[in-house]
Amino acid sequence: MSYRKFLKKMNRKEQSQDLEKDDPKSIDTSLTENLNIIKEKTGNSPDIIIRIISFGHDPKVRTAIIYADGLVDNPTINEYLVESMENNVQEKLHGKDPFTILSEKVVALGSVKTAKDWDSLFQSLLSGDTVILMDGKNEALIGSTKGGERRSIEQPDSEVSIRGSKEGFTESIATNISLVRRIINNPNLWVEPMNLGKQTKTDVSIMYINGIADNDTVEEVRHRLRRVNLDSILDSGYIEQVIEDESIGLFPTIIHTERPDAAAGNLLEGRIAIFVNGSPNALIVPAVMIQFFQTPEDYYMRFPISTFIRQLRVLMYLISLIGPALYVAITTYHQEMIPTGLLIIIASQTDSVPFPAIVEALIMEVTFEILREAGLRMPNKISSTISIVGALVIGQGAIQAGIVSPAMVIVVSVTAIASLATPSYDIAISARLIRFAFMLSAAIAGFYGIILGLIMLTVHLVSLRSFGVPYISPLAPFEPGNIKDTILRAPLWALNERPKFLSAKNRVRQGKNQRPQVPMSQGMVRADTKEGDKNEF
Amino acid sequence: MEKARISASQLFVLIVLFQLSNSFLLSLGINGKQDAWLIILIAMAISMVLFFVYYALYQYHPGILPTEYIEELIGKLLGRTLAFLYILYFITIASRVLRDIGETLVTFAYPETPLFVMNALMIFVVVYTVYKGIENIARTGELLVVIMFLLILSIFLLVVLTGLIDTSNLQPVLENPSTVMKTVFTETLYVPFGEIIIFTMIFSYLTQPKKVIKAGVLAISVTGVILAITMALNISVLGVMLTSRSYFPMLTTIQSIEVGEFLERLDVFFILVLVIGGFFKVTVYTYGAVIGTASLFKFKEPSKLAYPLGIVILILSMIIASSYAEHIQEGLKVFPLYVHIPFQVIIPVSLLLIAFVKNRKK
Repeated sequence: MSYRKFLKKMNRKEQSQDLEKDDPKSIDTSLTENLNIIKEKTGNSPDIIIRIISFGHDPKVRTAIIYADGLVDNPTINEYLVESMENNVQEKLHGKDPFTILSEKVVALGSVKTAKDWDSLFQSLLSGDTVILMDGKNEALIGSTKGGERRSIEQPDSEVSIRGSKEGFTESIATNISLVRRIINNPNLWVEPMNLGKQTKTDVSIMYINGIADNDTVEEVRHRLRRVNLDSILDSGYIEQVIEDESIGLFPTIIHTERPDAAAGNLLEGRIAIFVNGSPNALIVPAVMIQFFQTPEDYYMRFPISTFIRQLRVLMYLISLIGPALYVAITTYHQEMIPTGLLIIIASQTDSVPFPAIVEALIMEVTFEILREAGLRMPNKISSTISIVGALVIGQGAIQAGIVSPAMVIVVSVTAIASLATPSYDIAISARLIRFAFMLSAAIAGFYGIILGLIMLTVHLVSLRSFGVPYISPLAPFEPGNIKDTILRAPLWALNERPKFLSAKNRVRQGKNQRPQVPMSQGMVRADTKEGDKNEF
Repeated sequence: MEKARISASQLFVLIVLFQLSNSFLLSLGINGKQDAWLIILIAMAISMVLFFVYYALYQYHPGILPTEYIEELIGKLLGRTLAFLYILYFITIASRVLRDIGETLVTFAYPETPLFVMNALMIFVVVYTVYKGIENIARTGELLVVIMFLLILSIFLLVVLTGLIDTSNLQPVLENPSTVMKTVFTETLYVPFGEIIIFTMIFSYLTQPKKVIKAGVLAISVTGVILAITMALNISVLGVMLTSRSYFPMLTTIQSIEVGEFLERLDVFFILVLVIGGFFKVTVYTYGAVIGTASLFKFKEPSKLAYPLGIVILILSMIIASSYAEHIQEGLKVFPLYVHIPFQVIIPVSLLLIAFVKNRKK
């Protein structure tokens, strides 16, 4: 062993001994000692408020109320804790355990528990609970007083609804869980809490419906969450990146939503929701690709319209993928496929343009991406400048200067609108990058390149999995029973089965006779029909 | 063998895509003139017998690859040599199909692009797909078969609805029975129908081995009928002379579709069918070669073999013939007689006889 290694080892030993010395595991009996430890551990932070009250009478017991300012609900502490303790000062204590009296008679809070070690004490204190320490007792009483200022429930920005609930998740995990509970009033809606993040100790909860969700999948989610060993969890995005199946590819294999009704719908299909404190997005697993083209509203509208809109979205996605690539392919390799009249127009326009179609397309696409990113991060007051520069200078100017052809501008604009029409931002953003690959393959080999690209994309997509579920289910592998809710949306009364790939055991969703029973008088009625047959009026 | 499972319906999809592929575009059985469609149907019926032979062989050795059971049947040295020859056969056919696609594309759409670039692009995607394994090949097939059927259906509908058909081109039926039977047994039975032998490499992945026969017979019938309709349409639109003279009668037929001033030159349909179908054929052959090589030489990670074999197929596709005419001549004169008949008929049938005798002894 070299000298340096030896030194290192010694150092480590000393450090660990120091830590043990400074880090008493369990709470002391002396109140002064305990308060000193709290002050020392929190670095005398002014937002940790310690209030000392004498409790009881004959003998008096020194009691301390400790809470973190801003994380607690102040009226609750004043009314139900401080006042209640002061009112009960006359209680005779001799012969009785003051601690028991305090927890049973005095503290008028909804949930009260005890803690014996410092770790759980600090965990509760810093998540907004109030800690009550008593002199001569090596236990702490923890009353639930979570509260403080939070954003109220608002309409979600990223998933706007026309019909359906306008509520959105907030940053508080308790609020989010309650929002879902208000929709599913069922004791089988189970919530499992967890604490993740070495430094942040963030509250994370798994939510699922027992009996519908597949037990193996739930266990897999638990397992993946347990092995999370990140320093901090600032958003659900952190969790998403360490538990997903495919972390390198472009396609999201976990869906997230800001809407309680979307989360509830997914839970009822047998999926599992993961809530992270501080994030208004609930993660939902397992996700399949077709979900990114669906919105909760599809189920609220009439089904032929929903079906049409879903197919439109898939078409939009395809356009946003290969729109510019098609233009490049046609103008470079396959001019004979354009009807003659149109060909003449395009040819006369591109005649004066000094670049080949691919360069033109790349210039316009990159410009568009820059504009889009600029618009996203811009304060509202300046964003009008961006639109003027974008529309006039780049759109109009580029054409008049003869740098790009008007047809190209149309293609890029249509592509841009198409990519904005995809309901999920996550999936739309994947198209932004893949589009460039398609443009290049179109420049190399026209339609042949595009088709090969699409085949390769298909192979990649079918090979993806989300928590064991193939990404393109139920289309590939094909599940004939589940095809009704994909790019189609069958009438609600026909969606009798849950997806097989999510919930293999409990598949029956509803009764088989949910089709509205209309009175026969709406159609032709046979003359010998008796009154009362089939709801006849 | 990799650890994977496919369903009977996926096998059906794979066989359909595999057989439609480039055969949909070529002039099958045109030696029989206006009876080409009849030739296809007869070949289809006979090929089912071949399929039964392949299936019976598999029945004697469920769950293992042909490259493994050949060894069991005829001894180690002879068996391994034969298995190796089969792998070479798959590689050769894969490179021939690749050459077909490349030449077709260069001839009709990309006169200035080198053949090598065309083939290299295709083999790149094929290698990527084979690397992902049979489950993903099958799932890709499930998605692409829908596109393929839609394309073929729309081509049929457009041809019929635009009134291009002249049924007198198809008469007289069965003018020369001996030519018909000769064409069946010298050409059409082996390409595309006999090529189904590659699926013996895939049978062992099935979740329900008993459904192999159902899926296979159904797939062969579907493709046979589609190919027969295709040839009948080609001949009735173009006439026997033009069909037999053109390399790709389907392309000529598609190009004669004209709806209004708008729907004309639907060559993109042709490219789509060509690329999707061709891709599948090359992929399945390459997969067979990869999995066979892996089992023969006891490779632990079969998917890694996709790269070297892909490069071999690419190079072979370039040097297998010096010109397209030579390539076509090889396909018509040399391959059916000296390659397809032994590998598709003689060897499997004799193996089945050996298996039968061996099992009766027991």
